[in-house]
Amino acid sequence: MAECSEISLLLGAFEDSELEPNEMQEVAHHLARCDSCTAMLADYSTIGRGLRTIAPEPILAGFAAAVTARIDALPQPLPARIRRRTARWWRGSGDIFGSGFAWGTGAVAVAVLTILLTTPYARRYAARRLAPAGSAVSHEVAKLEEGVAAVPEALAQRDSGTQAVMAEDSQAIISRLEAEMPSVAVWSEPQSDTTVIWLPDQP
Amino acid sequence: MRTPGRQDGDEAELIDRARNGDSEAFGVLVERYQRRVVGVALAVVKNQDDAIELAQETFVRAFENLKNFESRSSFSTWLYRIAANLSIDFWRREGRHVILRGEDAQSEIDRLPSLQGDSFKAVSRSELSERLKNALEQLTPEHRAVILLREVEGLSYDEISETLQCPRGTVMSRLHYARTHLRTILQDLSVN
Repeated sequence: MAECSEISLLLGAFEDSELEPNEMQEVAHHLARCDSCTAMLADYSTIGRGLRTIAPEPILAGFAAAVTARIDALPQPLPARIRRRTARWWRGSGDIFGSGFAWGTGAVAVAVLTILLTTPYARRYAARRLAPAGSAVSHEVAKLEEGVAAVPEALAQRDSGTQAVMAEDSQAIISRLEAEMPSVAVWSEPQSDTTVIWLPDQP
Repeated sequence: MRTPGRQDGDEAELIDRARNGDSEAFGVLVERYQRRVVGVALAVVKNQDDAIELAQETFVRAFENLKNFESRSSFSTWLYRIAANLSIDFWRREGRHVILRGEDAQSEIDRLPSLQGDSFKAVSRSELSERLKNALEQLTPEHRAVILLREVEGLSYDEISETLQCPRGTVMSRLHYARTHLRTILQDLSVN
């Protein structure tokens, strides 16, 4: 049987249920026969209850608001401030109109932007807008458009290894593309529902 | 009181939002843990005003360092650790007490008389409370902290170990010392 001196070291952890199962069993076995260790355990229990009794209940009124105020007063980088304001606006709009409206508005905005940025009209328009008249870029754009206009003729004239299978509904389905030439351009022309393969003249 | 542990989905979402600068989401976390964070600070510094100030500072530091928080660990224990570090630093700056460490603390335990019997039966509850307050004053911050974190805040030994950044064995020995010391003081008072 374990001595009181050994068991007394484990009494606190026994009270806290922090011993291994075999140690719990050993202490319990000892306590069943030892009045002094049982009394010590009772004292520990009394001390624990007393400590919980005297622990002051902190006054927490306004605590969270004070923390938030201190956080808001922190110097923050601009992106963080923008994110926080956006988050507040987003939550605010959700409160006013309901979160469904806010999410719907966001989804529509994203869809419109995606359509605008992915259609050839928008790309062409953007290229024109971005390239000042007379600049090298605008010159290239004009050249490209001339190239598009000249494609039917070029297709008629070319007699190389390039093979394209054209569907009868005027939409091109390219099943195979072969060319000895190093550069071949392919693009869609939505106005006429055709896909154009442009082969530059041989040097 | 909320059981500390790994954060649930709701808490993880609040932490993510707070990471992105959402102070209102962080406010929810503050409401959730303010009581215990103040309790951790109170376990070390005694004075309630100091404890509340330190707890507020804990949350501000936590907000600033959320990017360093690894979600694998418990958010609550991370908060308690910040609170404990700030409180211990504060207490050391104040320099009001002598800290017993290692062998010194053990020799203090060895000097304690052997105790037997249920010591406090004859003591009224209010008297016992008063004596306990005085007895707590005589503990070092380390011993005071472990006994209060265990008995008042209900932290497990592992949580105390993580909060105070000391081995579990040290938690056990400090708890043993604190309990034995408190019992001795109270028993002496009962006899007198």
